[in-house]
Amino acid sequence: MYRPYRRVVQISVFAAMFLIPVLNLYEIYAVTGTFYAINIGGLGIADPVVIFQAIFASGELTVPLLTAAIFPVFLALLLGRVWCGWMCPYHLLADAAAWLRGLFARRLLRIETRQGLPLSGALPANTCRFGFLIAGTIAAGAIGIPVLNYFNAPAISSTEAMIFVKERSLSLEFGFIALLLLLELSILPRFWCRLFCPTGAFVSLFRTRFTLHVGADSKTPKAPCCKENLCSLACPMGLKPFREGTNLLCTNCARCIDACRGGSSHGRLRFKGFSGQR
Amino acid sequence: MTCNITDFLQRIFSFREDPLTSNYRENRLRPPGAVDEKRFMALCIRCNRCLEVCPYNCIRRAGLGRSIGTPYVLPEQKACYLCMACCRLCPTGALDKLLNNPEQVVMGKARIDPTICYSHLFLEHDILPETAGKRIGALCNTCYNVCPLADKAIALKNNLSPVILDGCVGCGICVERCPTRPRRAVNVIPAGMGRVDEAGFYFRKARKHYETAVSAERRGAAQPLTGEKLLEMKSKIEGPPEAPKFQFPYETPKGIEGWD
Repeated sequence: MYRPYRRVVQISVFAAMFLIPVLNLYEIYAVTGTFYAINIGGLGIADPVVIFQAIFASGELTVPLLTAAIFPVFLALLLGRVWCGWMCPYHLLADAAAWLRGLFARRLLRIETRQGLPLSGALPANTCRFGFLIAGTIAAGAIGIPVLNYFNAPAISSTEAMIFVKERSLSLEFGFIALLLLLELSILPRFWCRLFCPTGAFVSLFRTRFTLHVGADSKTPKAPCCKENLCSLACPMGLKPFREGTNLLCTNCARCIDACRGGSSHGRLRFKGFSGQR
Repeated sequence: MTCNITDFLQRIFSFREDPLTSNYRENRLRPPGAVDEKRFMALCIRCNRCLEVCPYNCIRRAGLGRSIGTPYVLPEQKACYLCMACCRLCPTGALDKLLNNPEQVVMGKARIDPTICYSHLFLEHDILPETAGKRIGALCNTCYNVCPLADKAIALKNNLSPVILDGCVGCGICVERCPTRPRRAVNVIPAGMGRVDEAGFYFRKARKHYETAVSAERRGAAQPLTGEKLLEMKSKIEGPPEAPKFQFPYETPKGIEGWD
């Protein structure tokens, strides 16, 4: 079961979002920054899409810019989109929104919720988010401002947390996060991470066949092994994990692995990667 | 004629008195070490680490608008104290990482408005400015006293009235401490800012506090007094009625032993 571990990591990252500015208030500067750019004991880490935007908008390529993006890219090459599934503070909020949505539907409206994802299917979703990324990048180059920073949900949540701790107020961008969560709660479940998030889209580009991914024991099964199709139901991204484990949308959140009962025909779903067939 | 037309167009399209539409929003006073405004807007990733690290809470975060999320300094409320902590931390080089000498900072340049400055008014026009019903006449020189780069950035002309020198880095400490209200006599013009008269514009966003030098002049406050009026005013300044007598319990030595 990966779920408890994932929640622990998610919640600790979420708590760190508030803890870092608190520590900084007490003049402990071991970790500074927000999820736009963070500095852990001298190691500078920045959101790669933010760096990409800055390079594109300013038209210059400098060493500090590149070194800041190396670590997240390396992490993505090794473990896939674990930032999204396991760490992103917004993803935790979106999980909470999805849970609340299910709760309301079951308890209050007494209807069975199917995952009515907007733009269901991997291809339209990928097209939408890469379209958003490309459009934002072109706009950044044209205007000379890193435009996609204004739509960077995890970084904005982190910044809001910092402002909340430091100045005990919230800025207008909090409305953006609130609006996204409201939409996810009401009419567009899971839409931001699937259809728009520029960070997720950019990070998912760094994927090789050795990157950690979900797969079954047998090679590329055509049909789900159980009648209920448990893994596809569990997937928040609307994938079919038994055959689309290497899709760019997959966040390695391991929900499908937890849901899998170990079918007869092609074995259990599990994490593969590093060596290709492990 | 062309000049008039330009003025006219500017007045229509720049909405000068409204900070929500003036170009001050797009050209704020950036933290020390900031590269020029266009590159800054491109390079700054709005991570707010400078804001987080600033030990004096000087750096603010820009609100709604094109420059949303970028850092700026509002010297009227809290000036930059040139500790240079933010420059080291900037992850993208929007603030110059190698800059650690406060004297090399180029944030802007202070400008003294002689129609408001107490020292200038008193020395050049013999005016005692009126503040809260009281006439105060002062050679205040606060800006000189608080300047961290005194005698490089600011000097006293004839040891009396402050003048800004080329060494001014634009930290704004003089603006923060300047006693004149509602408008400060000294303001910082951000580096690269087009229009000199908009220095310190953002702070005057509340219309009721807004008072231009022009309107002050129109009310006659800044017109130099001459002749009878000046004499009359000066005669109001009362000194002590008679010269004080100091009593010394000891005799002043006429000469010190061993001195030639």
